[in-house]
Amino acid sequence: MKRTKTTVGVALSAVLALGLAACGGGSDDNGGGGDGGGGGSAFDAAVSKVVNPSTKTGGTLKYVITDAPDSMDPGNTYYAYNWDFTRYFARALLTFDPKPGEAGLKVVPDLAEGLGQPSDGGKTWTYKIRKGVKYEDGTEVKAEDIKYAVARSNYTDELQGGPHYFTQYLAAGDYKGPYKDKNLDDFKGIETPDDHTLVFKLNQPFYEFDYLLTNPQTSPVPKAKDTGLKYQEHPVSTGPYMFENHSIGKSFALVKNPNWSAATDPLRKQLVDRVELTMKVTGADIDNRLLAGTEHLMLAGTGAEAAARAKILSSDSLKKNADNPLTGFLRYAMLSTKVKPFDNIECRKAVQYALDRTATQGAYGGPVAGDIATTALPPTETGYTKYDLYATPGNKGDVNKAKTALQACGQPNGFETNIAVRGDRDKEVAAGEAMQQSLAKVGIKAQIKKYPSGDYSSQYAGKPAFVHKEKLGIIIAGWGSDWPTGFGFLSQIAHSKAIKDSSNYNEMELEDPAIDKLLDDGAKTEDIAQREQMWSQVDKKIMESAALVPFIYEKTLLYRPPNLTNVYFHLAYKMYDYPSIGLQ
Amino acid sequence: MTAPIEVSGSEVEAQPDAVLAGVDRKAIQGRSLGQIAWLRLKRDKVALGGGVVVLLLILAAVFAPVLVKLLGYPPDEFHRELIDPVFSRPTGAYGGIGWDHLFGVEPINGRDLFSRILYGARISLLVAFLATLLSVSIGVVLGMAAGYFGGWVDTVIARAMDVFLAFPLLLFAIALVGAIPSQASIFGLFELKDNSLRIALLIFIIGFFNWPYIGRIIRGQTLSLREREFVDAARSMGARSPHILFKELLPNLIGPILVYSTLLIPTNILFEAALSFLGVGVAPPTPSWGGMLSDAVTKQLYPIAPHFMIVPGLAIFITVMAFNLLGDGLRDALDPRAR
Amino acid sequence: MIAFIVRRLVAAVLLLVIVSMVTFAIFFLVPRLVGSTPDDLASRYVGRDASPTSVQAAKKRLHLDDPVPLQYGRFVKGIVAGDEFDYGPQTVKCSAPCFGYSFRTSQNVLDLIKDRFPVTASLVFGASILWLTGGVAVGVLSALKRRSFFDRAAMSIALAGVSLPIYFTGLVSLSLFAYTWKIWPDGVQYANLLDNPVKWAYNLVLPWVTLAFLYAAMYARLTRSGMLETLNEDYIRTARAKGLPERTVITKHALRATLTPILTIFGLDIGLLLGGAVLTESTFSLPGMGKMVVDAITGNDLPVVLGVVMFTALFVVLANLIVDLLYGVVDPRVRHN
Repeated sequence: MKRTKTTVGVALSAVLALGLAACGGGSDDNGGGGDGGGGGSAFDAAVSKVVNPSTKTGGTLKYVITDAPDSMDPGNTYYAYNWDFTRYFARALLTFDPKPGEAGLKVVPDLAEGLGQPSDGGKTWTYKIRKGVKYEDGTEVKAEDIKYAVARSNYTDELQGGPHYFTQYLAAGDYKGPYKDKNLDDFKGIETPDDHTLVFKLNQPFYEFDYLLTNPQTSPVPKAKDTGLKYQEHPVSTGPYMFENHSIGKSFALVKNPNWSAATDPLRKQLVDRVELTMKVTGADIDNRLLAGTEHLMLAGTGAEAAARAKILSSDSLKKNADNPLTGFLRYAMLSTKVKPFDNIECRKAVQYALDRTATQGAYGGPVAGDIATTALPPTETGYTKYDLYATPGNKGDVNKAKTALQACGQPNGFETNIAVRGDRDKEVAAGEAMQQSLAKVGIKAQIKKYPSGDYSSQYAGKPAFVHKEKLGIIIAGWGSDWPTGFGFLSQIAHSKAIKDSSNYNEMELEDPAIDKLLDDGAKTEDIAQREQMWSQVDKKIMESAALVPFIYEKTLLYRPPNLTNVYFHLAYKMYDYPSIGLQ
Repeated sequence: MTAPIEVSGSEVEAQPDAVLAGVDRKAIQGRSLGQIAWLRLKRDKVALGGGVVVLLLILAAVFAPVLVKLLGYPPDEFHRELIDPVFSRPTGAYGGIGWDHLFGVEPINGRDLFSRILYGARISLLVAFLATLLSVSIGVVLGMAAGYFGGWVDTVIARAMDVFLAFPLLLFAIALVGAIPSQASIFGLFELKDNSLRIALLIFIIGFFNWPYIGRIIRGQTLSLREREFVDAARSMGARSPHILFKELLPNLIGPILVYSTLLIPTNILFEAALSFLGVGVAPPTPSWGGMLSDAVTKQLYPIAPHFMIVPGLAIFITVMAFNLLGDGLRDALDPRAR
Repeated sequence: MIAFIVRRLVAAVLLLVIVSMVTFAIFFLVPRLVGSTPDDLASRYVGRDASPTSVQAAKKRLHLDDPVPLQYGRFVKGIVAGDEFDYGPQTVKCSAPCFGYSFRTSQNVLDLIKDRFPVTASLVFGASILWLTGGVAVGVLSALKRRSFFDRAAMSIALAGVSLPIYFTGLVSLSLFAYTWKIWPDGVQYANLLDNPVKWAYNLVLPWVTLAFLYAAMYARLTRSGMLETLNEDYIRTARAKGLPERTVITKHALRATLTPILTIFGLDIGLLLGGAVLTESTFSLPGMGKMVVDAITGNDLPVVLGVVMFTALFVVLANLIVDLLYGVVDPRVRHN
């Protein structure tokens, strides 16, 4: 997910944040916190409680975004903000409890009547869905529609925008997807014994399966209404709001769904009359519009930029309407273990020691933008423990230690390498420049290579063949988990099976059997405490390899216009809980 | 005068005859055209001022390393101690402007703006000069050919100019710069990579797509010169086309070529800045004026550190203005009727 | 006259064909020449978690593995006879003239252009009135009152105008008028003309003035030098010698001759701007053609880029055609030919 407002591109390179946070993130100035009760506004107040609780209805809630969402199709989006936002019109099987603080991390039933019933040692999961839930056209939601939704979003060649965890975990053989294979019964991964029961058949035991079902991919899609890639123009609503109009890439408006009923949906409300989104507004404008109150929320949830940040932090009246939480994102550089001389661990250590981490922190915007990171797991994930293998005085780097490592690596005078960055992400470019400066001090000459963010993982940094050819020793990127556990965070960036020919996120190409085993065994472990302990070990093993150079645990400064009601920071989505918000 | 950079407008084409219609006609006073023009230019204080500024800029760009050593800091050196960590802006007043940092420091990392502006001048001027050279070379050759030979040659070249003028140049530039890999060999002759490749590409694109503007003017001039007595005389003495083109026509075209080259340079400076502004300029940390403006905007730094927008903005403005003043002056000096 | 128009139309069509071929070559051929395989290209248009088979499917769906001439043929056929596109469960029919579907958003390119065009047209329409009247008036006055204070002041401002990057003026005006003095407290948000004409005009004032400032500066300089040129012509001297009133000399004779070249440039400028005022739209976040095409270029959305470039070329050609016809009205010499 991106923070740079002007360049929020298509979702290809996006990574999502859905982190489990043990703590609320950010400092808690008002000291209220944690009770989930309502209250007035103060700095960081919405991190721990609902600000301006109210049942007042009416008004038009206006969202803006710099670019455009990847897709409004609940089955074809990979942005955390969209997993948050689509809940306006798409009800998934399960969801996160719409509550502030740690309560928000609890998975609760949405369309389902209860959480999954595991059997067969964690390989079969059964769900009952609520009766009487209706689409916007008044027809009733059936279990088969959910099966169809999972099939279309995970097994077709056309809808490739979202994650493919169901493809990975369901025992579906070589099912070709509902567009090629018109008979849905051929999809064996999910069984629907009746209209209100779903049985998921897994190919391996997986005790974090409930988390997968919170994804909007499990929100039902009526087969007759499915238009493939064009479905995003008007996804059929099951939630309190539905599309009135949608001009893709420009704007849309949601209005109240007359067929939604609070009786079958205890989690949502229908406070405002309309919800509007305006896309492609330049970053220069958005903060100003929010501060002026003409628009209410920045959909991407990436927070205020430098100018607005200065304005907010230096004015008490603005500051009390702002929050500074952790986003669950880790910003880092990966050192490619397949590019010389980084195949040698000592050369990797030299980078760890040489780096002035305060400079990279500054590149992202200073302490307000993130805390200096020393681990692979951010503090928001289960399994996080605080430690620092490569401590240097004041985090400013240690030239002597770096030179010793260089000596051990057989490169006493340093070497030449390249730093890959997303050219249209100024913060990453700035981080690259900061790194370049630090490394130059120990004789490592690094050249910055800018690549377009849209193709960064498909064509450049995420394509090992390209990385080897262009000798991209250092790759700057960021990561947030798809579901809020240590496994959700680490399995995609550190497991050797995550290495792919293209769209590879294990850009360090780390192949450590010990890490693989810990991750594989952890997924099969039913005991939560034991699982978390294993994630913690994976974290340490990654840092011991010295291939991951963490920069910051990202934080953001979110502004909530004072006329919003029921605002709070949702810990699972790492932004405000959008569907709960009303207007005064 | 500059073509505006919102599109590649075609102002230069507008006054083809304003320039040199009377050049050879007036050269009867015993002084050469150059002498007359120089006398006129000397009296034009404003144009001279522009010329001096241009000269100073060129000198500053050429001697940037020396100047920076004397008055600034290395352009890539961070001075984070001068930056307020919370707001990312310089702690000093007015962006940290003072004797130490003449133009202040960059927000976020505290790099010295004075040296970055100077080094940025190198890129801007280099690209603008070489691109102009390319446009002028192509434009002069094709314009003269079209005007002199006429017939189908003229038709083909004139149509080609129409095609070029119908293209949204800026879009092509963005697309082409984006499509090129980080390394390439030019006709197998020399290997270019990274920034030198980018710069070469910028020069090529800006230069190549701009030739019709100057081509049209040269074509018009050649058309009228072709019918002059001295050309007829040369022809009747048996001179061949190459001789007439290069020995008779070209010297008479030096005036407009000079004027429009001077006026094309600022256009190209604006063009390069616009490309950098849209994110397809030179790669960091190499400084460029457009790139700095772009940073000020995309990172939204200009409200907290206005100097970061104003300094490069003024640099562009002053440079472009100076070239325009000089170009205007040259045109007036070379066009007797304009005085 | 008819023959003239027909000849120009044929030339215009030919020009469009060439433009489309060059555009096609640049956007479809250049990536291949520098080493991108169809697979590389296809992987841009699938999600980040895409499987290899889906990359193959995207390649087939978008016809990326066809030779470029064949792709060009399909593009031309689409315009002439329409085309069909496969979007999952259904095949979408795109009737002629079909400019294809966006690789990124699966939307009809023609619809996208129709959607964005009013924004750009509004911007260009208002600005062009401002700069044409303002620029020409100032230029004429300057020429008539040569070396007066007005002349010097106007020409200095004009010179500054053509020397300032438009995004710089745009940003300065935005930060001053919109955010410091709050004259446009909401910034600039495009409002539909038909929905609310007052809001439409009110919100476009800043972009209009910014864009018009640049062009007015240029047109004032052009008009002034053209006018001075004309006033030196023999026929003007003759007209004055005949004893015609100065007003008649200026309006009937001098102005007409001066306006002819201005009109040519005006046509070209309008044509190119209608294809997208890239920098102005970017600076003010106006959702026009220019903003769309820059986004499309950075997102490799080739059909959209192609469509916009074609329309730009079409506007340029049309504007030139109209200007040529107008010549007959403005310049008697053309009429008599």
